[in-house]
Amino acid sequence: MKDAIQVRELKKSYGSHMVLKGLDLQIEKGEIFALLGVNGAGKTTTLECIEGLRKYDSGAITVNGKMGIQLQSSSLPAHIKPMEAIKLFAKWNKTKIDDTMLNGLGIKEMEKKQYIQLSTGQKRRLHLALALIGNPDIIFLDEPTAGLDVEGRLSLHEQIRKLKSYGKTIILASHDMAEVETLCDRIAILNNGNIAFCGTASKLTDMVGRKYFIHIKTQQKDNTFETDNIEDTLISLLSELKQKKIHVLDIKVDRGTLEQHFIEMARREAE
Amino acid sequence: MNGFLYGVALQWKLDIRSKSLLVTCYIVPLIFFLLMGGIFTSVMPEMRSTLIQSMIVMSVSMGAFIGLPPSLVETYGSDVKKVYKANGVPLYLGLVTMFLSAFVHLMISCAIILLLAPILFDAIMPVQLPFFFLALAIFIIVSLSIGSILGLIVKNQAKLTMIAQLVFLPSIMLSGIMFPIDLLPDFLEALGRISPASWGYRLMLDNGLCLENLWYLILVFCAAAIICAMLLNKQKSK
Repeated sequence: MKDAIQVRELKKSYGSHMVLKGLDLQIEKGEIFALLGVNGAGKTTTLECIEGLRKYDSGAITVNGKMGIQLQSSSLPAHIKPMEAIKLFAKWNKTKIDDTMLNGLGIKEMEKKQYIQLSTGQKRRLHLALALIGNPDIIFLDEPTAGLDVEGRLSLHEQIRKLKSYGKTIILASHDMAEVETLCDRIAILNNGNIAFCGTASKLTDMVGRKYFIHIKTQQKDNTFETDNIEDTLISLLSELKQKKIHVLDIKVDRGTLEQHFIEMARREAE
Repeated sequence: MNGFLYGVALQWKLDIRSKSLLVTCYIVPLIFFLLMGGIFTSVMPEMRSTLIQSMIVMSVSMGAFIGLPPSLVETYGSDVKKVYKANGVPLYLGLVTMFLSAFVHLMISCAIILLLAPILFDAIMPVQLPFFFLALAIFIIVSLSIGSILGLIVKNQAKLTMIAQLVFLPSIMLSGIMFPIDLLPDFLEALGRISPASWGYRLMLDNGLCLENLWYLILVFCAAAIICAMLLNKQKSK
């Protein structure tokens, strides 16, 4: 299958700081591909170079298909209404407005509001709609669910899956590992200006293992426990606390992100 | 309707929704006109012959230097320009549509002054109205082109407010609309003579539309257009 995007030896510096150090990347047509990395790893720079919004120092980028772009930090004039923005961009792109897409994203229901009055979720949906106006083959979504509530995230995930079912290639930059694992066919981790890993999420999990963090708040103090066996650790911790008659105020369990584990693993290997 | 015309019509609507433009193009200039028109004509009755031109210079300068730049900063100093670029809308669209929309708003505001001044203050109407409107259009275009530079150069609204006032106030005070420019000390007189407002004022007076009053405004407009094109190019290549 022909690649949707090919990036070869991409280099980009900001002053003396080299952000991308010869990055290579291939994204296949029709896949959902995630670009991960800690803050400052160069995810947005990579995407913006591919999108043509940022100049790069050297390398080659090939894009096979029409692009639709949802930026990480987006804005529109404060007093513009969603349908006015959609009409403006549709007229410039000389494309017809797809009412089904607008209904799916709930654009019609925010029709009377001005941009300044929209919630974060509504703004994200509007920017996604703008990215989809020209019926693109390749869709870039930079942190699409940042700032959204659970309902908003689920609804956006559904939209992304629907786009994949239409054969679109989707490139996603995200911090949310759970989101990436649920949605993406392949992921790439950016570290130190290069792709440190590229493959499926399960391959990455196999490589780095899975760690959980259990945060327990009691009347005396707060404790955090790291484990790769969440059930056994929880049971033993709770029974110990019960034995000691320590009253538990709150329990939280979270997974360290795979990218953090991966980068930590790479750091340890380097040491 | 094609993208460009839709963009112009949309900008016109956005400007009406934006209260800042309403204030700087209509409310403040018209209040200034109502107050100062009364004061000027009662203190100096001879000002009736130049009242319309004076008040129009004030109105246009305020709209161009204080009204237009914040709208430009909203687009070019923010992520709006990135969204335009990402969605295939050319970067010049914002500048051109805002310029055209502000031009129409200022024309309306000036027409209101032109109609009310003779009724309220017995001001003398320009003798040759077509020439007057041509001079007015030229002055508005030149003023807006200077306002455009401000909006494209300054990236934040707080700084812009300060810089816009620094351009606006001397422009008005030294342009000769309140008192003859040759009454000023030499240094201020020289400053007043480089202000496009003083040239615009002379251009709009009866028999003022001549090359002697026009060349400087053409020069300023050409320089401003080149600077705006360079600033847009810089934004595009970033």
